[in-house]
Amino acid sequence: MIEVRNIKKSFGDLEVLKDISFSVEKGDVVAILGPSGSGKSTMLRSLIELETVDAGEIIIEGDTLCSDGIYVPKKQRKKILDKMGMVFQHFNLFPHMNIKDNLLCACLCAKQAGKKELEKLASELLAKVDLSDKINAMPSQLSGGQKQRVAIARALMRQPDIMLFDEPTSALDPELTKEVLNVIKQLSEEKMTMLIVTHEIGFAVEAANKIIFLDEGHIAAMGSPEEALYNNDNERIKAFLEKVV
Amino acid sequence: MANLKEWIPLMLQGCGLTVKLFFIVILLSLPLGLAATFLYTGKNVVIRKIMGFYILIMRGTPLLLQVFFIYFGLPFVPKIGQYLTINDRFIAACTAYVLNYAAYFAEIFRGGLLSVDKGQYEAAKVLGMSESQTTFKIVLPQMIRISLPAVSNEAIILIKDTALVTAIGLADLLKVTNNIVNRTTNITAFIVAACFYLVMSYLLTVFFRNLEKKFAF
Repeated sequence: MIEVRNIKKSFGDLEVLKDISFSVEKGDVVAILGPSGSGKSTMLRSLIELETVDAGEIIIEGDTLCSDGIYVPKKQRKKILDKMGMVFQHFNLFPHMNIKDNLLCACLCAKQAGKKELEKLASELLAKVDLSDKINAMPSQLSGGQKQRVAIARALMRQPDIMLFDEPTSALDPELTKEVLNVIKQLSEEKMTMLIVTHEIGFAVEAANKIIFLDEGHIAAMGSPEEALYNNDNERIKAFLEKVV
Repeated sequence: MANLKEWIPLMLQGCGLTVKLFFIVILLSLPLGLAATFLYTGKNVVIRKIMGFYILIMRGTPLLLQVFFIYFGLPFVPKIGQYLTINDRFIAACTAYVLNYAAYFAEIFRGGLLSVDKGQYEAAKVLGMSESQTTFKIVLPQMIRISLPAVSNEAIILIKDTALVTAIGLADLLKVTNNIVNRTTNITAFIVAACFYLVMSYLLTVFFRNLEKKFAF
């Protein structure tokens, strides 16, 4: 479903991604772990072209997004990017729109479906994230956890095949983290393909079937949670686990 | 005081010109300033340089000098002066004010633009919105909301700045008032004029407060 081959990325002299390769199958839930500055977010953002890689290949559902660091033309790119949804650490809801319009805006812009149909989808998705009563609220009236759940519903509105989560709970209080993680778990039960950059090791082990552990721009370990974390002799991973668990 | 009835209508007439000038300038300079912001922050380097120069001149020299330059100065520009001459004082004043205020509004809007969070652009992009959809539906509404208090401030300065047209002989509120004071040798008219300006500023303040509340998020 996702093929990443030998991608590299530098910010000036700083090489953040050094020859990264991995693949994701349909229905996989991939947790991306690693210390701060290891390149987790950059790697995730590269997949949806919020960062552009300098070299390597990215293939999404069989379509090449970039090869040798050269991206396909805009029209093709858009078609590929439309298959992915993304959720950010800081939610990035549109503050000047109520929740309903946050969900509808992009779909209406893209003429994804008729307004009636989209409104129906919006109320279904809000029900799914348990926020039906907030449909007319403004983002500023919601708690962090509620905002993030709206952001997830908004991403689902575009009916993506793959969801990317960039530290979805890092800006939340521990008690609000759970409500967001529950929604993500629910999605994994529905076999949504997901890549999640997170610091919640417990959640990663529980919900992910695959873990990618990044360290200084390299993949230090990859595989099932047991393989990648617990049966691994890598000193960096041991040190990391000791610190966070 | 006895002649209050006689000169209040004159002052109201002057007020009319002040208000007319205010509305023409604000209605033209706001959209022009917005356009200038996008040119100034756009991709074309040459246009950016030109806009930077325009804003430097307009903000860096006195408004009164600009009014004088456009009304008295333009006819003396070598060779092309005769084509640039604006004979109507009111139109000359409007031109100078619009050019000047558009530059200030451009900077205010640019500040608003810079305050729109980068995450907003990213969210719009990953949701599949085009650049123009992002500009008009996401960025512009937030930028205008952020700019409102500064625009309000500028509008209040403008209503008082209109008094400068007295210098090219336009019969605005201040000019009329000054004539009355000279004729009556009594300062009451000055105080009445001050009240007029205060009322106009106050109405603007209330108007913009309501606008801010309406667009609050």
